[in-house]
Amino acid sequence: MLEVLEGGIQTTVQDFPGRVGYLDLGTYPAGPMDHFAFRTANLLVGNAQGAAALEVMVGGLKARFHDRRALALTGADTQATLNGTPVPLWESVAVKAGDLLEMKMLKGAGFRSYVAVSGAFDVPEYMGSRATFTVGGFGGFEGRALKKGDQVRLNPGGTGDTQVGRRLRTNLRPQYGTHSEIEAMRGPQADPDYMTPDDMAFFFSHTWKVDRNSNRMGIRLESHKWQWARTSGGIAGGHPSNILDNGYAVWTVNVCGDQPIILVADGPSLGGFICNATLVSASTWKVGQLVPGRDTIRFKEVTMDEAVQMAQTLDTTISERSIERG
Amino acid sequence: MPQVMPRNRAVIDTLPAKDARPPVTYRYAGDRFLLLEYGDMVLDLTMNFRIFGLNDALKRSGVDGLIETVPALRSMLIQYDSLRLPTRRLVDTLKQLEETIASVDDLNIPSRRIELPMAFEDRWTRADIERYVKFTRKDAPNVSNGHNIEYIARYNGLRDPEEVIHYLCATEWWNACIGFWPGLPFMFPLDPRFAIVTPKYNPTRPWTPEGAVGIGGPCVAIYPVASPGGYQLFGRTIPIFDLQQRNPAFKDNPILLKAADRVQWVRVTDEALEAIREQVYAGTYRYKIVGYESLNVKSYLKFLESVKPEVAAFQRRQAEAVKQVAIP
Repeated sequence: MLEVLEGGIQTTVQDFPGRVGYLDLGTYPAGPMDHFAFRTANLLVGNAQGAAALEVMVGGLKARFHDRRALALTGADTQATLNGTPVPLWESVAVKAGDLLEMKMLKGAGFRSYVAVSGAFDVPEYMGSRATFTVGGFGGFEGRALKKGDQVRLNPGGTGDTQVGRRLRTNLRPQYGTHSEIEAMRGPQADPDYMTPDDMAFFFSHTWKVDRNSNRMGIRLESHKWQWARTSGGIAGGHPSNILDNGYAVWTVNVCGDQPIILVADGPSLGGFICNATLVSASTWKVGQLVPGRDTIRFKEVTMDEAVQMAQTLDTTISERSIERG
Repeated sequence: MPQVMPRNRAVIDTLPAKDARPPVTYRYAGDRFLLLEYGDMVLDLTMNFRIFGLNDALKRSGVDGLIETVPALRSMLIQYDSLRLPTRRLVDTLKQLEETIASVDDLNIPSRRIELPMAFEDRWTRADIERYVKFTRKDAPNVSNGHNIEYIARYNGLRDPEEVIHYLCATEWWNACIGFWPGLPFMFPLDPRFAIVTPKYNPTRPWTPEGAVGIGGPCVAIYPVASPGGYQLFGRTIPIFDLQQRNPAFKDNPILLKAADRVQWVRVTDEALEAIREQVYAGTYRYKIVGYESLNVKSYLKFLESVKPEVAAFQRRQAEAVKQVAIP
């Protein structure tokens, strides 16, 4: 059991790939904002990569262990300590009953940290997943972020001793910065029918600022005066960004009026605005580490073939062969 | 601005129109999703019927690597595992399936009929509309006598709230798709003689009670939870979303309605609605769902043809009325 002494800004139980298969009932998948760090944390402690683990936004989590397990922290550096001693990131360490984990404030770039424990967290499955869907208030631990006094159970499991001392090879660890290049594919609604080629050229070359009002539903970018290929949305509405409502791909760029918003883990499943580009599955994890109100991004266009290759490479990276001992 | 040469196109492929079949466009939506669209951007329920026919055929095809589908008005979003199912193979499969559903006339779409009790102009929506006028917009032209229903009447050239209620109950409401929020239905009247329309709130309303029902444009929605909203409200019904799954209707998941359901309103008083809502949560109310029916598209299209003059007459009445009414 993990006893929560302070929940921090937003600490949620997530699993990967989240609540898949309910988009047609209006439910986005939830799951980790950074699946690279999330899956790696699980890999380090010997769990299945999708097993339930914690997503800690910014920091502030303070929790006591009641079991002997292996623990791995990945993602952003929150200057975490275990009984006052700094905990290294991207490697598994031993914890025992009574140990106190403290995640403080972010140091350097990155925005979200992940906490995996061998055996994984034991929260009930809801609609086939243990991921917390913050908008609907379901899944994870009572459908909400953790707070003081919560007792999050662990699955029965060994001591995790054999999973201690595993490290992700240094050259494979992501280097977070204040500016990121994020690979995306054109479409579904791009040029020439919805936007002009110049609009799309701007989209893929501009340095976009991540808006302060960004969260697990959407990453907002700044508004832009698009040229638009159409003068209005016709029957769907007066603005040329309006279309008859259609399903939204997860991690797509939704242009709401003039403002692009990347729809992320807890976003809306359907709506009446165009989506001019969609992040590729191997690049979405970078979004989870963007600091709202500070970081900038540029979208780098890739082809379908490149995206598939990137996905294969990522799967290879997050695998046993990337782990070293000692 | 540096020139970036397009390296890819959003459109993967197209299928030109053939006989009664609309043209089809297949679009990339990243490396995990594909968006399929029928025809032009017009609101036509026969496109939506065709989407259901295709959805059904695709799911039965058993194509390896298909993850899920999101049918919508004239489009379908498809999630697939592109490491197992190459885009080309998926598009080829979809194109072949178009041949098997050559004509929408041949479709029989499985469709549940669901009767939902509705308190029109109820006290709960009235309370939130009152708050809107008090705190958000004092001169909202879409509120009279503390509700939206009189505005709906005037906007459509109907005599009074009673006639609006008659219109709403005279047709079944076709749930074309679910989305935006878990369980939220987008419903359209199957009988176009009663197709009322309204503009939306401006600005939007910060409060809407759970179970409230409203109309925006031609589309009727039920609010699954208390939330902000922009539709003109006309009443309140029973829960269509229950996280705690307290009623057998929510046994499988907390969401009641599915795409291709037909909803029929049954008028009840505020008191009766309140009593039924309590029974819902106690688990004793049985949702009135007929599960075995289907919508025969051929006979439906025949019906549409037969009511054309009446539909045109109502549309003229609406067009006249709109001239006299302020837009929010």
